[in-house]
Amino acid sequence: MTGPLDGYRGIVLTQAWAGSYATQLLGMLGAEVIQVEFHGRPDSWRGSYDRPIPDPVIANPHSAAEQHPWNVHSNYNSVNLNKQCITLDLTDPDGIAIFKRLVPLADFVAENFAPRVLGNLGINYEALCEIKSDIILCSLSAFGNNGPWRDVPGIGGTIEPISGMSSLLGYEDGPPLNSGLMYPDAAAGLNGFAGIVTALMHRESTGEGQYVDLSMQESSLAFIGDALLEERMTGRVRGRLGNRHMTFAPHGVYATSDDGWIALAAETEEQWWALCAVSGHGEWLPDLRFADNATRKLNEDVLDAELSDWISTEARDELADRLSNSGVIAAPVLDAHEVASDDALRDRGFILDVDHPEAGVHPQSGVPVQFSGTPTRVSRPAPLQGQHTQEILQQLLGISEDGYKDFLKRGVTGAGPQS
Amino acid sequence: MSRPGALHGIRVIDMSTSVSGAWCARMLADFGAEVALIEGLNGHPARRLGPFDDDEKSVVAEYVLANRPSAVLDIAHASGIAALQSAISRADVFVCSVSPDELTAAGLNIERLRQSNPRLIFCSITPHGSTGVRATRPGNNLTASALSGWASINGLDDQPPLKASGLQGSYCSGTMAYGSIVSALLARSKQKPHRGQFVDVSELEVMASTFGPALLAGQYQGSPPSRNAKVDMSTGPVPVKDGHFALTISRPHFWRDAMNVLGLDDLADDPRWATSWYRQQHSEEYVDRAQEKLASWNKMDLFDTLAALRVIAGPVLETDELAENEHLRAREFFQTPEHDGPEFPGPAFKMSASPPRLVIRAPEPGENTAEILRTFAGLDEQAIDALFASGAAI
Repeated sequence: MTGPLDGYRGIVLTQAWAGSYATQLLGMLGAEVIQVEFHGRPDSWRGSYDRPIPDPVIANPHSAAEQHPWNVHSNYNSVNLNKQCITLDLTDPDGIAIFKRLVPLADFVAENFAPRVLGNLGINYEALCEIKSDIILCSLSAFGNNGPWRDVPGIGGTIEPISGMSSLLGYEDGPPLNSGLMYPDAAAGLNGFAGIVTALMHRESTGEGQYVDLSMQESSLAFIGDALLEERMTGRVRGRLGNRHMTFAPHGVYATSDDGWIALAAETEEQWWALCAVSGHGEWLPDLRFADNATRKLNEDVLDAELSDWISTEARDELADRLSNSGVIAAPVLDAHEVASDDALRDRGFILDVDHPEAGVHPQSGVPVQFSGTPTRVSRPAPLQGQHTQEILQQLLGISEDGYKDFLKRGVTGAGPQS
Repeated sequence: MSRPGALHGIRVIDMSTSVSGAWCARMLADFGAEVALIEGLNGHPARRLGPFDDDEKSVVAEYVLANRPSAVLDIAHASGIAALQSAISRADVFVCSVSPDELTAAGLNIERLRQSNPRLIFCSITPHGSTGVRATRPGNNLTASALSGWASINGLDDQPPLKASGLQGSYCSGTMAYGSIVSALLARSKQKPHRGQFVDVSELEVMASTFGPALLAGQYQGSPPSRNAKVDMSTGPVPVKDGHFALTISRPHFWRDAMNVLGLDDLADDPRWATSWYRQQHSEEYVDRAQEKLASWNKMDLFDTLAALRVIAGPVLETDELAENEHLRAREFFQTPEHDGPEFPGPAFKMSASPPRLVIRAPEPGENTAEILRTFAGLDEQAIDALFASGAAI
C-alpha cells in the first residue's frame, strides 16, 4: 500500500489553492486523483498563458528545453503533487460526455467553482447522482451553496477580511492585515480533505454518497471559533494581539544581532526560570514585576523591552538552540529558503526534492503526517497541463489514439492557448 | 431522531493535552464517534487558556473540549493507569499530545497496548513530530509560525515578523490529524484482520504544508518571499469610511467592473491591467488613485454594490458583526448545543447525509468519570468505587 487512501479515486475539478490543496492531501495519502482542467480557462494557479517565466526556472539545469509558462508556475506546482491532469472542454458536448463517463469510475468528485457553475455545466450533485448513485461531491466555494451570498465570488484575499481573520491579524496598534499568502485557502483545503474522508467513511458503512458543502468563509470562521465564541459568551470583540498571547508572557518575536528574528515564549514557570538562566539575567528572577505569569503579563511592555535589549546582542541560531535545548519555547524565524533547506524537516522526509519535467528539481513540502502501517510517498510532481489525457482516456475509457487525436483536433482537449 | 454520524460506532480515547489534539477529538465527536476525554488531576491545559468569561470559564476550552464527556484519572496511580489501559484496549482510536516515548515515560506502554489491541489507531500530535532532532524541543503556535516560514511573510517589513493569529497552528494540525485518523480507519476497514497504526502528526509540518506555495515561489523566483513594505489594495485591506476593505482582484472582469464602480474608467478600459501579474508589477501606478476613491465608501455599501456585479470584495468584519451576519444566519452557521449552552460557531463544512452534531457543551473536569469508567473501560461498580476511594479517579 502507498498510503491509507490507496484504492480510492477522485475525478476532480479543483483549481487555484483551496480545492487543489484538499485533493493534493488526498493524493498524498494514496488516493488516485485525476484533475480535469479546461485548457480554455486554465487553472488560475497556472497563471495566464502569457505570464513571463522566472529566470531561475529557465536557468535550471534539469529543466526541459521547452518550457511553458502554465507548466512552471510555483503556485500550481506546489499544490498538485501526486495528481494526474487531463484537459477537457466542459462546454463542449463531447467534453462533458467524457467527464460523465469518468464519474462512475470515481469515489469522489471535488470542485471549487462558484456554486452556479456546476449546474450550468449540467453536472451538479443531482446530475452526478444519476450517473453514480453513491457519488461523493465536495464543493468548496466562497460562501457555500445557499444563503444570500451564495453567488458572490471570493478568493482567500477577500475571504480573510470577511471571515474576521484579518480583524485578528496585525500589530496591536496597527490596522487589520491579510496574511502574506491567502491563508483561508489553506484552512479550506484542510477542511475539504477532512470532509471528503468523512464522507468516504459514511459510504463505507452505509453505501450512501453525499454532498459536502464547504464555505471558505465558514471554514475560516471555525478556525477563529474561539474568538467568535468569546463574543457570544462575553460580548467582547477581540482585537489584534501582534505576536502576543492571550494568556502567556513573554510571547514575542525579537530582533537578533545578526539581522534575524527569534520567536520566544514561556508558558510555564520552569520555562521562565530556564529563560532567566540562559539569558544570564538572574536579576529577573526575584523581580516582582516578573514573579509569575500573571505579573509578567501585566508588565509585558517592560518585559519585552528587557528581552529586546538582551536579544539584540545575541546571534539568532545559536540563541535559539541554547534556549530550546534548555526547555524554553524558542525558534528562529525562517524564510522560505531556510525552511526548504531545514535539516530536521528533510530528515523526517517532509521537505523533499521534486523533479518536475519543465521546472527542474526543487525542494517542496511533502506529506505533513506519517503513517506507520500505510506509509505515504510523493510519487508524482505536479502534472503538466493535459499530460495524462491520452493515457487516462485510453486506460479508463478505452478511447483509441485516433479518438484522442480527433478530440485534440477539435479542441475538446488540448494544452495552452487555443489558436 | 437524528441519523448516526459518519463515525458512528468508533470509540475514541482523547488524552490530548494541547489545543490541536483537543480540536482533533472535537471533530471526531462532531462527526459521530463516541469520544471520552480523559483529563489529568489539573484538568485539560486548555482550561487555563484565556480569554475567560464572567464565571472564569475558558472560552478556548468551551470551544475545543465540547461535545464529549470527561473523566479525571490520576495516571501516577497504578489503578488509574490500569483503568486507562483498559479503556485504550477497548478503543478504536487513541489521541494524545505527546510522543510514544513520553507516554512510556509517563507509565503508559503504548507499544504493549498496540500489541494487545492491534486494531488501535494511535495518533500523536506534537509540535515537531515524534522523531528527529526537534522531537524533544517544546513548541507552540508562535514557533510553528516561525519555523514554517509563515512569520517571515506575515506583517510589514519594517516591523517584526508576525505569527498567524490566534491558534491557527492548532486548528490546522488538529484538522489534519482528524483527516489522517479517518483515513487510517478507512485503511483498517479494508484489511482482514483489521489493523490499526501509529499516526504521527507534526504541528510544524502541517503549518509548513500550508506554506507550500510560498516555499516553492521562493525557489522559482530565486529569492524567498518577504513581508510587504506597506499595505496597499494589491496586498490587503485599506481604509474606507467606516473601517477597512480588501479589493484583492484576480480575474480581468473583476478589475474592469470594480474600476468602473470606483469611477476610474480609464483604468477599467486599459487592457494592460487585465492580467494580475501586470497589476502586481505596476501597482504604484494605480493604488493611490483607487484607494482615494475607496476611502469615500462605507464597507457594506461597497460590498453590496460589487457583489451585485459578482466581483470579489472583502469588507473587514469583526466578530460582533459576524455574529449578526445575515448570510451566516441564513445558513444556520451558529448553533446552540442540543443540550443547551452558548451559541457556538458551526462546523467548517456541511454534509448532506451525515451532518455533524453538537450535542453538549464542554464538560466540567470529571463530570462523567463513573460513566466513562463503566462504558469505555468496562469496569464494574465495585472497581469504580475503589478507584474513587483511592483518589485514582475523581
